[in-house]
Amino acid sequence: MTSPCESVFSARDVTKTFGAFRAVDGVSIDVPAGEIYGLVGPSGAGKTTLIRLFCGLAAATHGEARLLGHAMPGDRRAVESRFGYMPQEKAVYRDLSVGENLLFFGQIYGMDRQRIARRTTEILSLMRLGDRVRQRADSLSGGERQRLSLACALLHEPDALLLDEPTIGLDPALRAQFWDHFHALSKGGRTILLSTHYLLEAERCRRVGLMQAGRFIAEGTPAELRSAAASRAGRAVPDMEDVFLVLTASSEGAS
Amino acid sequence: MSLRRIAAVAERVLRQLRHDRRVLVFMLVLPAVAMILFGYSFSGDITGVRVAFVDEDDTDLTQTLRDNLRADSAFRLAELPVGQDPEQLLLEAGYQAVIRIPDKFTSLYYAHFAMGVATSAQGRIDLTLDESDPQIAATVQKGLADALMDLGEGGPVDVQVKDLYGVEVRFIDSFAPAIMGLVVALISTVLTLLSIVREKVDGTFARVWVSPVRRAEFILGYVVAFGAVALVQSLVVLSVGKLVFGILINGSIAWAFLCVILFAIGSVGLGTLLSALAQTESQAVVFFPLVIVPSVLLSGMMWPIQAIPPLLRPLSYLVPLTYSNRLLRAVMVKGLAPWQEPVGLGGLLGFVVLTIAAASLILRQRARGAE
Ligand SMILES: Nc1ncnc2c1ncn2[C@@H]1O[C@H](COP(=O)(O)OP(=O)(O)OP(=O)(O)O)[C@@H](O)[C@H]1O
Ligand SMILES: [Mg+2]
Repeated sequence: MTSPCESVFSARDVTKTFGAFRAVDGVSIDVPAGEIYGLVGPSGAGKTTLIRLFCGLAAATHGEARLLGHAMPGDRRAVESRFGYMPQEKAVYRDLSVGENLLFFGQIYGMDRQRIARRTTEILSLMRLGDRVRQRADSLSGGERQRLSLACALLHEPDALLLDEPTIGLDPALRAQFWDHFHALSKGGRTILLSTHYLLEAERCRRVGLMQAGRFIAEGTPAELRSAAASRAGRAVPDMEDVFLVLTASSEGAS
Repeated sequence: MSLRRIAAVAERVLRQLRHDRRVLVFMLVLPAVAMILFGYSFSGDITGVRVAFVDEDDTDLTQTLRDNLRADSAFRLAELPVGQDPEQLLLEAGYQAVIRIPDKFTSLYYAHFAMGVATSAQGRIDLTLDESDPQIAATVQKGLADALMDLGEGGPVDVQVKDLYGVEVRFIDSFAPAIMGLVVALISTVLTLLSIVREKVDGTFARVWVSPVRRAEFILGYVVAFGAVALVQSLVVLSVGKLVFGILINGSIAWAFLCVILFAIGSVGLGTLLSALAQTESQAVVFFPLVIVPSVLLSGMMWPIQAIPPLLRPLSYLVPLTYSNRLLRAVMVKGLAPWQEPVGLGGLLGFVVLTIAAASLILRQRARGAE
C-alpha cells in the first residue's frame, strides 16, 4: 500500500511536446493517497496527454511523471497491476460479450476465475449492467459501453485510478451514482485522477487542476478556485462554469 | 513471462473469432473451397530442372544424347563422374532427376538395329526421379524421350524409371500441402493484422499495454490462438483432400502439423509487423493482396518454380510459402523428416525468427509512439 506521506501521482515541471507543439507544458502536480483530483479545461488542453504520461503510455519530453512513487514509463513494471486506466475512447473489445471483456481484463491482472466472477457481479450491478453479461459489446448503447469500459478499469480493485472522462455521455442520475462510488473508493484509500468536461463535477473533486494550452492556470479545492475567480472578477462567482470562464479568460489576457 | 497471461490473450483471441460468424465460416470453409477449386492441374513451361547425367558408356552416341538433353531448356544438365549413388544425388545434392547410361548401352542399341526386331537385346537407361512433384517428373520423362528420338536410327530404348519415393504421385497429392500452407498463412496473417489494428483503433491496445501483459506474452497469445486455428484448418484440408480427391499421404501427419504450426507462427509475426504500417482497418485491407498474390504465383504452389520465368525466380525465394511448400511436400508426400529438407526447414525457421523478432521490436516502438 501507499505510505500516507507519499504522493500517488506526482509530476515536477513535466513537459510533453509533439514536434514543436507543447501538449503538456511544465506541469507540476501532487495527489496524495485517497484524493479525487479532477483535471478540467477546454478541449485540447492536454488532459489526456497528462493522464497518458502517468500511465506510461508516453514518455515525458522533460521532467518526470511518477505513479505510486515510480517513474513512468521507465519503472512501470513495478506498478503495472496497482493502477487502473480508462482511456477516453470506449476501449472495450466490441466483438466480445460484456462478461468476456471483464474475464479477459481480470485474467491479465492475475485474478482467478472465482474472484473475477465475484467482482463481475459486483461491478456490473453497480454499473446497471447486471443483465447484460452475455450481450456483445458492439450492441450496447454508447453509455452502456462507457460503463463497461469503466468496469474494466475498476475490476481488479487497483490502488490508483486514471480515468479519462469516465462520466461522459451518462445521464445525471447515473453520474451521481458514479460519483457516490468514486467517493466510496476514495474513502477506502484509493486515489483517483480523472478528467472531465462537466464543470459541475469539478465541485465533487477534492481538488481541481484547471488546464489550458498544456499549462495549469489554477489549482485548488473548488472553494479556492471560486474565491480566486471572485477576486479576479471583482464579484462573487458562485457557478463553477463562471469560475472556469473567468479564470481561462484572465489567463488568456495575461499571456 | 507468465503462461496464464499468454493463455488469457489466446483465449480472448479465440473467443473473438468464435463470436464472428463470418470469420469463423471463412476460416473453415476457405480451406475446403480452396482445396476443391484449386484441385485442377496447372502448368507452365518448365525450365531449368536440375538433372544429373552419369555416363558409364561414354561413346559418341551417348555424347550426342547428352548434347540433345543439354539443348532442352527444360533442363539444367550436370554431367557427373560415374559411380555415384543416384538416390544420394537426389536427396542430398538437390538434383530432381538422375539419368544413368550403363556401359554397353551403345553396343546394345546398335545390336538391336542390326539384328532387327527379333532380338531382345535393347539399350537400357536408368532414370531415377523425384516423383513428389509430378509435373517435374513428367517433364523429365518427356524430355528424355525426345532426346532419344533425336538420336535417329537405333533400337528402342528401355527407360527404367525408378521413382525414389516408391509410389506414383499425382498433382493433387502434392497440391494439398500447398493449400494447407496457403490457407494457414492467409488466415493467420490477415486475422492477426486486422485484430491488432482493431485493438489500436479501439484503444484496447493501450489498456493491454499498461497492464502486466508483456510484449512477448501478447505475441505468444496470438501465436497459440492461430496455431490452434492452423491445426483445425489443416485437418479440413486433409479431410477434403482424402474424401474428395483421395489424396495420398506418405509421411507423418504429426510432422506435417508441426511444420504447419511453425508456418502459422511466422505468419502471426508477419501480421503483427504489417499492423504497424496500418492505422485503420481499411488501410490494413491494402496488405491482403500483398500476402496472397505472391504466395499463389511464386511459391511453386500452382506450377513448379522451374516454370517461373528465370527473371522472377529469385522473388520466389522471398515468399515464405515457397519454403512451407518444400517442407510440407517433403514431409507429407516424400515421407521425409523435416530436417531432411534443410532448405524448406531453414527458410521457415528464418521466417519465424525474423518476423517474430521484428514484430516485437515494432510493438515496442508502436506503444512508445502510440501517443
Ligand atoms: N500524438 C500526437 N501528435 C500530435 N499532437 C498531439 C498528439 N496527441 C495529442 N496531441 C495534441 O495535444 C493537444 C492536447 O491533446 P489532449 O488529447 O491531451 O487534449 P485533451 O485536453 O484531452 O482534450 P479533450 O478534452 O478534447 O479530450 C491537442 O492539441 C492534440 O492535438
Ligand atoms: Mg482528452
